[in-house]
Amino acid sequence: MTLLRYIKRLSLGALGGFLMLASLTASAVCPGADSEAIKWLDKMSRSVHQVNYHGVVTFQRGEEDMQVMQVSHSVTDGTTTESMTQLTGQGAKVVRAEHPLECIHPGHKLLRIGDDINAGECGVAEHYRFSVTDGERVAGRKAVRIIVAPGDMYRYGYVMELDRRTGLLLKTATMGRGDKVLEKFQFADLSYKGKDPEGADANLVHEAQHPVPGHNAPQVSAAGYGWDVKWLPSGFMATDSQQRNAGRKTYTDGLAVFSVFIEALDREIRPGEGVVRSGSTTSYSRGMALSGEPVLVTVVGEVPVNTARMVADSVKWVR
Amino acid sequence: MSEQLRESLSALMDNEANELELQRLLKQVGSDAELRATWARYNAASAVMSGQDVSHMQLDISSRVRAAIEVESGVTRETLKQRLFRPIASFAVAASVAATVVIGGQQLAQIGGAEPYSGGPVAASGASPVGLVNSLGATTVQASYGTEAIPVLQPAARTAYKELARQRMQMYMQEHAEHSALNSPHGLIPFARVPEIRE
Repeated sequence: MTLLRYIKRLSLGALGGFLMLASLTASAVCPGADSEAIKWLDKMSRSVHQVNYHGVVTFQRGEEDMQVMQVSHSVTDGTTTESMTQLTGQGAKVVRAEHPLECIHPGHKLLRIGDDINAGECGVAEHYRFSVTDGERVAGRKAVRIIVAPGDMYRYGYVMELDRRTGLLLKTATMGRGDKVLEKFQFADLSYKGKDPEGADANLVHEAQHPVPGHNAPQVSAAGYGWDVKWLPSGFMATDSQQRNAGRKTYTDGLAVFSVFIEALDREIRPGEGVVRSGSTTSYSRGMALSGEPVLVTVVGEVPVNTARMVADSVKWVR
Repeated sequence: MSEQLRESLSALMDNEANELELQRLLKQVGSDAELRATWARYNAASAVMSGQDVSHMQLDISSRVRAAIEVESGVTRETLKQRLFRPIASFAVAASVAATVVIGGQQLAQIGGAEPYSGGPVAASGASPVGLVNSLGATTVQASYGTEAIPVLQPAARTAYKELARQRMQMYMQEHAEHSALNSPHGLIPFARVPEIRE
């Protein structure tokens, strides 16, 4: 009798322990997934496409002069038209016309993780920790602040301010080591209605390219000779399908983007590396021999130097 | 030929030589056969430049180099074989860089010791006003992903590699921005990072 009672108590204890453990695991599954932040991220990734706006944005990095640009974005009949005109410096204009609303690129999909979390997957919340606080006033609008802390050393952190009303990203500071601000984008002026202001004079107009994700260009390389990046920081995925022998591959985790370029050289290169940085952008070039063939691998993107180096390290020929 | 001259020459090829270095080189070049030979070799290495399709680059890295090349006779055209047997897009390494980085001339210093990164210890995560954990963000710790260590480069080669990285940033930033603009929440704003937007 005593023994039986003892066993009963023991199993109850074990059950209690198990339950406690289970609830602990549930909260530990997506530690970065603050539900309010997830909601805002989702809204942000949609508003940048779906909202009509025009305004003036400033861009600052390091000791450089502030750049000022005019941006506009409008939606008509299911397609968006947007432009960015530099008001300082080079004075170039970039336009993207007739971008279908339903065309969602991987980087934006990665920010819409509501369904993933319900399905028990953390998505971007596995690689960043998000928290929401009251924001400051940006371009005369009340903002909500999302603090985005990187979950590992392979990416930067961000402090983002979103328009409380529309979810539009009004300000982004990219944070490097020691919470140093590497660069900052910020709306100085923003309007959701009315006509675009008179276009500023542009010295040249560039039409932004639009690679269609998931559509493979026909393979031209008869030999099937190509290259691949064998290591990516967790959470990064390709932004578009590339031929294996294309010169570039680009990856994103939803917030950071980097591109890898390879050049086959026609003579030996002295093994080595070179780095330059500007704002949050790193350009890392690495000369090496891949299976005896001299190549120069360059990683350009908004990631720390070490990430670029490890990615460049992992480039291999594939057949 | 002294190490100092070698570095001056490298600086000259990088267009970074100061007046003093230029004077030093000009003074010596008449009497120093080795300096002349090295100078010629540096320029010969720039043959990588000639005869290649650099339309993709649209970078004027060549003008200052070509001026120097025209003086020399060491320019060789790329052979047909070289042009045919290239598996993927291949671009010219700028001559100034090729001169110091590309193996071929004995002006290249020997690869140094085995300790590739002599950076200090990784900073510990300190108290953070905004609560970011990444105090490691931009640190240069040794790549933990297995490959060979990167050799320590002599100053000339290090300068050349830095120049190479700078040119590549110029060259590739726009193509990177195209994808960044489509895959990050900033719309077209990533184009602001492009040093010079091309049509």
